[in-house]
Amino acid sequence: MISAPYLEVAVLVLGTVILLIESFFSKFDRRYLGYAALVGLALIFLATFFIAPQSTMSSAPFWNFYSADATSLFFKRIALATTAGVIVMMFDFAALVSSGVQGATPQSGLGEFFALPLFTCAGLMWMASAIDFVLIFVSLELVTISFYVLVGFTRRNPASLEAAVKYLVLSAVATGFLVYGITWIFGATGETNLQKIATVLSGTGLEQNAALFGGVLVIIALGFKIAAVPFHIWVADVYQGAPTPVTAYLSVGSKAAGFIVLLRVLDPFLILPQMQTLLVAIAVLTLIYGNLAALPQTNVKRLLAYSSIAHAGYLLVAVVSFSGRAVAFYLVAYLLMTLLSFAVLILVSQPAGDQLESFAGLSQRSPFLAFAMLVAMASLAGVPFTAGFLGKFLVFDAAIATHHFGLVVVAIVTVGAGFYYYFKVVRAIYWDAPPASTDKIIVSPLTRVALIALIAGTFVLGVYPQPIFDALAR
Amino acid sequence: MLRDYLPVLLQIIVAVGFAASALIVSVLLGKAGRRTPIKDSPYECGMVPIGEAQPRFSVRFYLIAMLFILFDLEIVFMYPWAVVYRDMIHGHPVVFWSMLSFVSMLMIGYVYALRKGVLDWRN
Amino acid sequence: MLPWLILLAPLVSAALIALITGRARRLSASISVVAVLVSFICSCIVFAKSEIAGTEIPWIEFQGILRVPIGFVLDSLSRTMLVLVSGVGALIHIYSPGYMRDDPGKSRYFAALSLFMFSMLGIVLANNFVMMFIFWELVGLCSYLLIGHWFERDSAADAANKAFITNRIGDFGFMLGILMVWAATGSVIFDDIIPQTWRITSNPTFLTICVLLIFCGAVGKSAQFPLHVWLPDAMEGPTPISALIHAATMVAAGVYMLVRVGFLVQASPVALGVIAWIGTVTAVMAALIATQQDDIKRILAYSTLSQLGYMIMAVGLASDEAAMFHLFTHAFFKALLFLGAGSVLVALHHEQNIWKMGGQGRNLFLTFVTFGIGMLALIGCPPFAGFFSKDAILSLAYNRNPAIFGVALFTAFLTAFYMMRLFVVVFFGKPRSPAAKTSRESPTSMLVPLAVLALLSLFGGFHFFASHFLTLPHEREAAAFIPGIALVAMLLGAAGAIILYRRRIEDPLSINLLRHKFYFDELYRVLINATQGFLARVSGFIDRWIIDATIVRGSSGATWSFGALLRLMQVGNLQAYAFIFGLGIIWIIYFVLFR
Repeated sequence: MISAPYLEVAVLVLGTVILLIESFFSKFDRRYLGYAALVGLALIFLATFFIAPQSTMSSAPFWNFYSADATSLFFKRIALATTAGVIVMMFDFAALVSSGVQGATPQSGLGEFFALPLFTCAGLMWMASAIDFVLIFVSLELVTISFYVLVGFTRRNPASLEAAVKYLVLSAVATGFLVYGITWIFGATGETNLQKIATVLSGTGLEQNAALFGGVLVIIALGFKIAAVPFHIWVADVYQGAPTPVTAYLSVGSKAAGFIVLLRVLDPFLILPQMQTLLVAIAVLTLIYGNLAALPQTNVKRLLAYSSIAHAGYLLVAVVSFSGRAVAFYLVAYLLMTLLSFAVLILVSQPAGDQLESFAGLSQRSPFLAFAMLVAMASLAGVPFTAGFLGKFLVFDAAIATHHFGLVVVAIVTVGAGFYYYFKVVRAIYWDAPPASTDKIIVSPLTRVALIALIAGTFVLGVYPQPIFDALAR
Repeated sequence: MLRDYLPVLLQIIVAVGFAASALIVSVLLGKAGRRTPIKDSPYECGMVPIGEAQPRFSVRFYLIAMLFILFDLEIVFMYPWAVVYRDMIHGHPVVFWSMLSFVSMLMIGYVYALRKGVLDWRN
Repeated sequence: MLPWLILLAPLVSAALIALITGRARRLSASISVVAVLVSFICSCIVFAKSEIAGTEIPWIEFQGILRVPIGFVLDSLSRTMLVLVSGVGALIHIYSPGYMRDDPGKSRYFAALSLFMFSMLGIVLANNFVMMFIFWELVGLCSYLLIGHWFERDSAADAANKAFITNRIGDFGFMLGILMVWAATGSVIFDDIIPQTWRITSNPTFLTICVLLIFCGAVGKSAQFPLHVWLPDAMEGPTPISALIHAATMVAAGVYMLVRVGFLVQASPVALGVIAWIGTVTAVMAALIATQQDDIKRILAYSTLSQLGYMIMAVGLASDEAAMFHLFTHAFFKALLFLGAGSVLVALHHEQNIWKMGGQGRNLFLTFVTFGIGMLALIGCPPFAGFFSKDAILSLAYNRNPAIFGVALFTAFLTAFYMMRLFVVVFFGKPRSPAAKTSRESPTSMLVPLAVLALLSLFGGFHFFASHFLTLPHEREAAAFIPGIALVAMLLGAAGAIILYRRRIEDPLSINLLRHKFYFDELYRVLINATQGFLARVSGFIDRWIIDATIVRGSSGATWSFGALLRLMQVGNLQAYAFIFGLGIIWIIYFVLFR
């Protein structure tokens, strides 16, 4: 049995070791660092199944900051799996990294490119366990700062640089609001621990508006992380400009962590009725904006960016219905299908770019990739027997159970819009004629294995969701 | 209760008022006369300026500056620790080990920066 | 463990053939045969050992609202069906390699055949509606694949489409029925529904709609009027498929399903009436059509329709026992007839027109004898199997509904007439084509199943044999003269056919209405064209004016203008972003605190 905090420590040590190896040894293939990271992550993922229950821990003050319940373990696994998936994608992206980074050697920058996600991962895992605003803030910053670097990693590429600057500035604004909100909450309640805040808030004789103001500011900051309207404004440009694996990481990892923190932070604040209304409004806006804005897109990466906003909308519906189960399942489904689509995108866009035209006739150039993209798109759209469908189903079910009928209607209408733009990609793959240069696309064995795993996961969870529920109910 | 916030309000009024009045006064008093290139130059007499007004610094300058700020801020973190260290160390060895791990992380960062040649000015 | 083996052996075989041994055609055939034999042996063990109970493992468990296990029901009904399906299936698997000898798509054929066995056994074993529905659809899929086995022929591809689409119509009703049952009882598992049945039966209208919707599934799969049109066309598939799927097993699935949910069906008198009359209409209509067909397989197909009509009639007359008894005997003699027909077809190089046969009794002696036994069983000649089961249904009809009895009796007369016509024209007289003159008997692997099935058709109806498998129907007040009347009808029909068709070289009768199958296909074509034209125009209008003009252009226009609006704000890019961000914050703070 392992104590839960060692998981993050292990990830951190893994990252540090890789960084040191990178800096001390110069003549070796940097890909080995990536393999080492993968193996390490896999081992740590295994270790999450041998975590001692929190009840057996001492009552040291540490546990006022950190929780090791089933939900946080579950989200730690999501973080680990996502990071592993992203690192697999990075292998395919390695060539572009080298051309995007100045350096003396052909592989310069690759070591850091493999190491940085590990630090992000540690931050995500801490976020999953954080039950105190202090730890929430620190881990959020760890995630955000490593993302600044990752987004601007290919710094010779102006788009990447521009994305990084936008992300940096806007994210800093959001962080400012987070800290400001935390101070207001602390000022009103005198606590930073979420449970204690809940106790104080449910008591009487309290300046509620001050606490509410703080809560709203915190939600604004988290809304930025999860890309909810009206704080979505950075998403399209940053997603498009960032290196594709980082985009995938942003849209899955950052979002998952944002949602678990949102769930935890909202827990004390949902006593206040205004909060509920606010979240419903944000969810509606996010659903409509994300889906409508995705309709006319012809750049697949940008389309996926808007789709990620739309999915944040569905997740918010689950949050409003306060169904942690639906959120968790949806996130897993979202992880599978998003990683799948980005992984295909990397392979397809390497020679031809991110435009929809480069997908034309993919079914003839690589039937395997075409099928993978078909599965991803079908799942994102919510076709039955895919994980995406079941995720949406659970979300709607939770919303109906809590009588948010209007929200469900909006969500279902937007699902219809979703079918339109997702299947635009499918149409390009299967019906459009391929361009003149019909080279076969070579898929490396590692990527192939990862893709097959993701496809299988999408289908298995589409018909047999029980393992996820069991993991949550531990 | 709102009376407590009166000084804040006053401060806001003063700040906004000063900025606004300064702008207004400058518009009112400043005569918008004829503009010529010579009038717009930084110095009306003396040498004609050569090159950019804002010279580009070497990126190393920023790197050093950032590293300095980083280590400087982390030193600040040690002050409160040092203050309570003597009182808490009995019975709480964690106080020692946590600072040691913190410093070792810093150390690793320093070593990494060194190996990457950040402090190397020669090339 | 054994039930799993029964179910999964064919699936493993299908997967092996599809994934690995696609090239090795002989090996594929062997794998498939071995798998079905494993299923058959296990079925026999399960049948013999009554202590083997049904099992289930959880599959979908959803907050107590929906629970769908993968579970097996093992009662006397399903045990009998298991032995029947896997037994007939095994015989037809053994027969197939001979029939498909030179077919390049042999592996594909056996993969689909194994998949079919898997799905059919799944229907039999399913202990809940959802699982049954899934296998139900899988069976439909296999049927589609196998009817279209020779897809390069347009007629086969069309027939496959027709079968699939027609079945979909019925299945849609079936699905609605399942949803209604689930909505009313909160469960899809048969054993859990039974104690909750009162929730449905307490509302007669609901019950009737519910049962009729479920019956829709049976109408599609068992090819009852008015969805019967696909079955005759399905004869485009290889003959063993016609025997297995479109005569002995799959089409009986509808009857089996109705018996399985008998506790619901029997509760609704209105629905029972509808079911009985649909069965009756199908029986007589198909028999009438069969008298004027020239294609040997089509005649058999219409006779299948007619016999399925008898079974549905029995269900409608509230006797599951009689229905199952007829299903049981029919499986043997109809499989026998089809395999016999297949044997004739192989000998005549796939000439299907009976007027180009003739005189085959001498050339194909064994086929002749076994086919004769099957024919006698079908027309209900004592002591063959069909006599007992048909007699049971006739007695039942006599007791319950004289009108239906009359029609059923007339159908029995027609059955004897058209079968004897077929028999006389094919096996007697002089060969009427070059191929018929030089025909030679089929290989042993094809004759052995014929012999086995002939034996079963001979003994299958006797009490000492059938009572091991079924609860036989007992009509208490059955008048002794019913078998007599039935016999007279049969003899009249047979004699009429012999007199009319002896030594003929072409059909002396020509009734256009029957030749054209009551113009059903034409009627449907007109109907479909009309509705399609109408729907096409309506949806064209909706698509052009509502969807394209309003929704798509409207929303994309709105999106574009929204995007344009944002672009207007994006003059200073980052600053504009921060500005919008700030506006959002102000809006939210206003929204929460000051509203």
